Amino acid sequence: MKQRFLMALFTIGSLVLPMMGSAEDSYTFDLSETEKKPYHFGGYGELKPVLLGLDQDAAFYKLRFYNDPQGQTLPEINGRLQLEGSYEQGVYRLYAKTNTDLKYSDYSKGSEHSVFYEAYASLKPSSSLKFDAGKKNMKWGKGYASNPVAFVDRPKDPDDPELALEGSIVATADYIKSFDGPLKTFSFTPVLLPVYDHVNDAFGNNNKLNLGGRFYFLFYDTDIDLLFLTGGSKPDRYGADFSRNITTNFEIHGEYALIRNFRKNVFESSGNVTLLEADARSYLFGLRHLTTFDLTTIIEYYRNGTGFSPAEMENFFALVDRAYNLHQTTGNATGLANAQTMAEGSYGRSSPMKNYLYARLSQKEPFGILYFTPALTWNMNLDDRSYTLTPELLYTGFTNWELRFRTAFLTGGKNTEFGEKQNDYRLEFRVGYYF
Amino acid sequence: MRKIIILFLSLLIALPVYAMDGTALLQQVDRNLNPVSYESYRKLINVEPDGKKKEYTLFTVKKGTDKVASLFIAPASEKGRSTLRLGENMWFYIPNVGKPIRITSLQSVVGGVFNNADILQLDYATEYDVEKVEEKGAEVLLYLKAKTKSVAYDRLKIWADKGKLLPTKIECLTEANMLIKTLYFKDHKDFGAGIVRPSVIETDSPLYKGYKSVMIYAGIKKRTFKDEVFTMTYMPNLESLR
Repeated sequence: MKQRFLMALFTIGSLVLPMMGSAEDSYTFDLSETEKKPYHFGGYGELKPVLLGLDQDAAFYKLRFYNDPQGQTLPEINGRLQLEGSYEQGVYRLYAKTNTDLKYSDYSKGSEHSVFYEAYASLKPSSSLKFDAGKKNMKWGKGYASNPVAFVDRPKDPDDPELALEGSIVATADYIKSFDGPLKTFSFTPVLLPVYDHVNDAFGNNNKLNLGGRFYFLFYDTDIDLLFLTGGSKPDRYGADFSRNITTNFEIHGEYALIRNFRKNVFESSGNVTLLEADARSYLFGLRHLTTFDLTTIIEYYRNGTGFSPAEMENFFALVDRAYNLHQTTGNATGLANAQTMAEGSYGRSSPMKNYLYARLSQKEPFGILYFTPALTWNMNLDDRSYTLTPELLYTGFTNWELRFRTAFLTGGKNTEFGEKQNDYRLEFRVGYYF
Repeated sequence: MRKIIILFLSLLIALPVYAMDGTALLQQVDRNLNPVSYESYRKLINVEPDGKKKEYTLFTVKKGTDKVASLFIAPASEKGRSTLRLGENMWFYIPNVGKPIRITSLQSVVGGVFNNADILQLDYATEYDVEKVEEKGAEVLLYLKAKTKSVAYDRLKIWADKGKLLPTKIECLTEANMLIKTLYFKDHKDFGAGIVRPSVIETDSPLYKGYKSVMIYAGIKKRTFKDEVFTMTYMPNLESLR
């Protein structure tokens, strides 16, 4: 397995490395360079060595490594290959995008996971109307790091919100109408989302045909969306979002979602699991500001109405501790297995608690260095005051290459979200190539 | 009386530009640069002081006075990205991110000296009032002032060829007349259907010493579009217009 993995990485590397750093000598541009073909093929390859600084007292370390303790650090090598292709003929278009993740570490050895991120057919009879059917991302919402109104999509990773995500199998359409006057644009995007065996079966309850929709308005220079999802796989939910430029360099945005009869399993202090059901309200307010010297600031407050309270999280961490101690003394791993199941479902997801503050500062091309963008991201859990601080350096100066170095420091006390993560820090260097 | 009439007529002949309405002059410069509605293919080249270059190829569509959209068709890392401008609203669409995000005219989606306002340029007459017109030998010099605070540059100085009424140089200035960048229009080319205009625009900036950005036009032609093309929802589909 290790050999296959290294061979795959070597193949990606030998395909892309010779293409680095080419530069043309003169300005030439001929219309023939822009000729459109009915088909398109492209992709992205990535190599990402990572060093994890482990926290051996943390709950999520114990959950993952209880039967195979690790040292202070755990190196990993990650690879990613995305291939995309399309074919267009008249009003018809086919599009597909695959994703293959490769990972190797001394702990997990080699692993490979391949999936279609998107694969759909489109029919576009006019500029006002388009139909899509297949696997597709909808990407609803205006928030940068979190999107409470993204009712159809998989949740973003706030640590890397611009990553491509796997879509859902849907039938959808776009109807667009433009106007003169304060309402400049209206569009409607209905979505049918089936959930059956082997069809979106991780989305929610099985054997349901869900209906969602988005109404979009550009009204008085403000983007406004009204959104909904119903059908039974998940509790019915309704939402709205907006985005507006206050000045040329200052944008504000917000989202609000109401989820009816939301159910969640929580650990009580006794260790029993209780099912709670209530309406949940999630919302987000954010801003994006650009200074005259190209410093972009993004600040977002996110209220996760479906999240856990500090007491509920503490109960979970206490359960992990008890289960871990039991395993250490008796070898019984039943409690840890139960906790792992709960972690995968909810306690271990991104942003599992209720109140978050996200801030990102990125300085474009400081000191006149073209294509160089250093950034600093801070994501704080306002309930327990734990946080991650992520400085990063990004360079895109070589055509089609992207080089990113980042470090994430996770800080927090006992029984806090980021204090109980498996890592205290994470170093990574990502080399990406587009072709 | 005859002398006064002769003197008046002489002045009219000697100073025809002064007699022209500045706004009409600017509108004519706009029309000579681009049709009201058109499609174009452009290449943007950023040149670093050591000669290293980075290129972007864009397909651009424009309609009327306030609608313009651009699609990146090369390099591979940018392919499929698109920008949209509806009056003072601007969005940027990245296929991976999926949803268009609002951007500002002062940002640059390509880096280098060109910013979003340069890439998604509307007619100058849409955004600026003419304050003054001066004759400078074979050229006229138009002093422009932004109509609103949301325009990228507070002031422009446009040098235009008096005969062709096409710009040769534009200085972009702050309210306090500080130079932000200079655009140089070069290499007139016949694009067909009566469109003869500079095919190369070079720019440099005291804020980016030693750096240069170049915009080269390979094709530009009149074309009409439905309004729905210039909407946020349509941004992922701009490729279908090619």
